[in-house]
Amino acid sequence: MGWIERLLTIDRRIIFAIIALVLILPMIFPFGFRTPVTPPTQKLFDAVDAIPPRDKVLTISADYDPQTEPELHPMTIALLRHAFATHTRVLVLALYVQGLGLAEDALTTVVAEFNGRATSPQDSIVYGRDYVFLGWQPPPIIPILGMGTSIRQVFPRDYYGNDTDTLPLMKETETYNDMGLLVSVSGGSAPLWYVAYAQSRYGIRVGAGITAVSVADFFPYLETGQFSGMLAGMKGAAEYEELVERSLAVGGRRKAMEGMSSQSAAHIAIMAFVVLANIGYLARRRRKA
Amino acid sequence: MKRTLPLAIVLVTGLLGVVPFFVPHPSVQLADELIRNKLLRIISMFALILGLGSLIRHNIEKIRRRREYWQYSYVLLGSLLVTAVIGVAGGIGGTGRLPTAIGGFRFDIQTLYANIIVPLGGTMFALLAFYMSSAAYRAFRVHNFTAALLLVSAFVVMLAMVPLGKSLGTRLSDIGQWILIVPNTASKRGIMIGVALGVIATSLKIILGVERKWLGGD
Repeated sequence: MGWIERLLTIDRRIIFAIIALVLILPMIFPFGFRTPVTPPTQKLFDAVDAIPPRDKVLTISADYDPQTEPELHPMTIALLRHAFATHTRVLVLALYVQGLGLAEDALTTVVAEFNGRATSPQDSIVYGRDYVFLGWQPPPIIPILGMGTSIRQVFPRDYYGNDTDTLPLMKETETYNDMGLLVSVSGGSAPLWYVAYAQSRYGIRVGAGITAVSVADFFPYLETGQFSGMLAGMKGAAEYEELVERSLAVGGRRKAMEGMSSQSAAHIAIMAFVVLANIGYLARRRRKA
Repeated sequence: MKRTLPLAIVLVTGLLGVVPFFVPHPSVQLADELIRNKLLRIISMFALILGLGSLIRHNIEKIRRRREYWQYSYVLLGSLLVTAVIGVAGGIGGTGRLPTAIGGFRFDIQTLYANIIVPLGGTMFALLAFYMSSAAYRAFRVHNFTAALLLVSAFVVMLAMVPLGKSLGTRLSDIGQWILIVPNTASKRGIMIGVALGVIATSLKIILGVERKWLGGD
């Protein structure tokens, strides 16, 4: 077999083995990249920063599932860190049942981080006062449209079974008018539903946290201003982690940043395979001609 | 009647879905709120029960008839029963009536989700990285100028999506952003407007009863 044929017929098990190596090794020996912040991430950071802490709330809609957890979960964690660090109160909900467990995990993690550092009850993050986990109401159109008229009517009970009428934060949060920003962290089209139904009808500002594969689909909404900002894939999450740590001096594990070396290496490996295959392809075509 | 009644229901519910967006009158908004917060929620609960019933029936039938991979139906039904019992009776984080911890061993619904569903889901999705690498290697060929353009754009965007693009000391990241913002947005907008017009036309045809294929038959 000549070199051209060799280039064109690399066994897929070799490809799988190389991809496994380029994913695993950088996790053990990271490259130590810096993460320059791109405009969509900066826009979302500024939009969250601009929420008046005692006047409006940040709502995070955890519309993702375990399949997209590595890319999207760090976004939810970074958004919660940002909100709690700036004393912005937070509502969390999920349009899909799969997002509930992940939202619960993010809240538990970040609340434990902040309460571990708190020196007084004022510094602590208290459920019902600083944040509320509303849970899930099917189908998605009910909470998306319903929160425009009454959040408590859509969610009479929170995720933990508490009557939402009894929670201090919910007494001050009636509708979308009380939200400074709603960020939908999603592996699907949920941010677009918020734009189509909630923004068009009630004027809520919407931000998006999305997977890298959906970036091309969502960019038009950012350009029109329908999205106040956007986190694009794991890189967007890493950039947000960087902004939160740099601007607010809030520490904590940065899982998206940890994944950047592996992702970079995998992209290079895939590009290398494509280049090799095309060298073989063009060489064979020239030989035939 | 078999055709007229479903058509009438679609006409009424279709109009009820559209009208509140254009008519701000309190009576219309109140009716809309009632439909969404009460009617739709009740219907969706029935849909959940129907879906659950259908899933159970389908898998029991599969086991009874020993259809292909029938053994997995036992796994599905067992998992469904266990998670339902723990979820309903054990409460969130083990706060319900059913004890969900034996010593330090916890098996509440959140623990099950975080330690079974999350790793399984992540593993399945992670396999994509391997298949995509192999597929890109086998299928991505520079047959002509358009394919070459696609390849170069893909490389630039791939590099822009990781910090490496910026670390290379080039303007690759900026070019990647430009590709997404300008040519991508321009083409996507065209497609989206076309799709939206198509959706409006199809929806109107269904609501007004012009399109009846969804009723079955010809």
